[in-house]
Amino acid sequence: MKRKGAAKFSLLATIVIATGCSSKTSDRVEITYWTGWSGHEFGIQQGLVNEFNRTHPTIHVRLVSQFGNSGYQKVRIAFAGNATPDIMSTVWADELADYAERGVLTPLDNYLAKSGRNFDAEYVPALQHSLRVDGKVYGLAVTTDTGFIVFNKKTFREVGLDPEHPPKTPEALKEASRRCTQVDADGSMKRYGYRPTDLRMWAHVFGGDWYDPKTGQVTANHPKNIEALKWIVSFNSFIDPKRAEAFQATFGNEKTTSGPFFVGKIAMWQTGEWASEYLRRYGPQVEYGYFPFPAPADGRPNSTYQNGSVFVIPSACPHKKEAWEFLNWLTSEYPVRIFSSTIGNVPPLIQVKDTPRFTKDKLFKFAVNLSHGKNGFGPPGIPMWPTYSAEISRAEEKAVVGGEDPQKVLDDLQRRMAKEFAETKEDLGR
Amino acid sequence: MTRQKATIQERRQFRNGLLFALPWLIGLTVFGIYPILSSFYYSLCRYDGIRSPHFIGFQNYHKLFFEDDLFFKALYNTLYMVGLGVPLSIICGLSVALLLNQKIKGMAIYRTIFYLPSVVPVIASSILWMWLLNPDIGLINIVLHHLGVAHPPAWLGDPAWSKPALLFMGLWGVGGGMVIYLAALQNVSESLYEAASLDGARTIARFRYVTLPMITPVILFNLITSLIGSFQYFTEAYVMTSGGPQDSTQFYALRLFNSAFQDFHLGYASAMAWILFLITLTCAFVVFKSSLKWVYYEGETR
Repeated sequence: MKRKGAAKFSLLATIVIATGCSSKTSDRVEITYWTGWSGHEFGIQQGLVNEFNRTHPTIHVRLVSQFGNSGYQKVRIAFAGNATPDIMSTVWADELADYAERGVLTPLDNYLAKSGRNFDAEYVPALQHSLRVDGKVYGLAVTTDTGFIVFNKKTFREVGLDPEHPPKTPEALKEASRRCTQVDADGSMKRYGYRPTDLRMWAHVFGGDWYDPKTGQVTANHPKNIEALKWIVSFNSFIDPKRAEAFQATFGNEKTTSGPFFVGKIAMWQTGEWASEYLRRYGPQVEYGYFPFPAPADGRPNSTYQNGSVFVIPSACPHKKEAWEFLNWLTSEYPVRIFSSTIGNVPPLIQVKDTPRFTKDKLFKFAVNLSHGKNGFGPPGIPMWPTYSAEISRAEEKAVVGGEDPQKVLDDLQRRMAKEFAETKEDLGR
Repeated sequence: MTRQKATIQERRQFRNGLLFALPWLIGLTVFGIYPILSSFYYSLCRYDGIRSPHFIGFQNYHKLFFEDDLFFKALYNTLYMVGLGVPLSIICGLSVALLLNQKIKGMAIYRTIFYLPSVVPVIASSILWMWLLNPDIGLINIVLHHLGVAHPPAWLGDPAWSKPALLFMGLWGVGGGMVIYLAALQNVSESLYEAASLDGARTIARFRYVTLPMITPVILFNLITSLIGSFQYFTEAYVMTSGGPQDSTQFYALRLFNSAFQDFHLGYASAMAWILFLITLTCAFVVFKSSLKWVYYEGETR
């Protein structure tokens, strides 16, 4: 009997622990918050949570770290088992639509309105789109990111390029890359200029799209997407993709002094706002400049892809009011300023842009302005985007490394994704 | 003898036995049989893991066979690993075991050295091998360069070499099978060798007609386990290549995992799991059937 009792108890304990749901202790409501941040970033979150707990006597937030990939997978399982916390930041912007369309997230529009917040006036354009699904806001963010190219001025001078006038068109970028690329007599690479590897992003720069919200159709073989892929493939004329990949395998970690840009293995580095810190720490000897992804005349200048962690309130947990109170505070100006400036991420709130941390550092200022611009963009807000996105990379590899025809691979991708999308919609509609 | 009615004593013993086995029985049902059966049901559904599964008949299977090029690619890659990897691991494991079965000084140390890699966690050895196989700065290519190979392969960077590289790396871990062969080799009775020698058998003949038949049960065991293991080849590819380059290391289990946990097509992944199960089952069955012809248990003649 005793044993049975123990078993019952442990089962109960497991259920209680596993659900992680909020519980009411005395007159303080305890809510659970899952975060994906770890290390010193977790510490800063914890500091903010402590501050909230101190200043809000009726709510107690319990911060739980769900670090790493398994943390993000756990989210899925938690949704499946109705065992979600009250609030979590362990959802990628990529996945937001997938969850929202399945009805497991709380739409935040009413809460935002009640708290007197103006989402569109507060958030940068890219996030206005990517945090919305079917017109409703499902997530908020405290950080965002950006992408651009940092280049080595000394190398530019050596190969006869003007370091004060970095490339302004894709063709100019290709030419600059060609000039910076050095290949040994036996064909192995010593340095390359720039090697485009992100069709998802470059298609946007070229003016293409992966999804058309007006028609509600995927547009994988958009003419501009094909143009972008052809341009990426054209780099093969001076950078042999197999050689390049073997060469890339020798690259050291970017977070060390042996990062490829710091040791001169690449002359142009596709990176983000973190470059400012990395350059200071690991490559102080490099004389560098930076420029946004150059767009063709009919493309989108100053494009930058913005993904990142998103805060959501699952629809399953009971203390939504308290969860919102916490989220409302955490996404307000002061905590966002503290968090984004201490961890060195771009703030998603327009007002926070002029924090000295972001304006004093020239590179950071450039990064922040870029991600606050009108051509910042995020995931297209459709379910199945993670799958679609992985398939875009496969298609790109088929064309670049496998030598298949760009038009053909994207037509093929379109056919498969259109079918997949139709099936997903049908499944969601039932 | 006529069947007698069970006595009270016997019935009580049966009941007690059942009670003692009950925790295991419940475990088997709840964590074994039920998930297996429900995975078959899910394989007939569209199921995203969040909402309840939606029955669609055999559509997942149809899609696998008629619309999914990656499925066949993954199947081919896996069969490649099974077809080459399994014989290779048996031959190498057995050869090493034969060498380590010699009576020379310091044998315990050699055995330890060969077994050591099997103790290293797969993740750790995978990361180590990523460096060894690095095309430009990896130890393997540096050695090949010194041996006069002007253009050593790019290994994991080249679709033509990625699978051989993984096979090559797998040989590092033959120690696990080797230990079992070694135990079997030591069990072969000296008297058999003596008798064979008296009949004039030389080393090769002794190996062919004494050693090999005597250890066939162990070869069968290793064959079956490495067959199943190779069909489930996953960790190394997940850690080292995530399926690339150009899907050359998209193995069945990796594809299954991605279907389930990247695409969240749990029904589709379940269908894949059932096909893999049938393939593995068939192979194991064929091996078992054939074993009647080549496996000798002690005292048997054929």
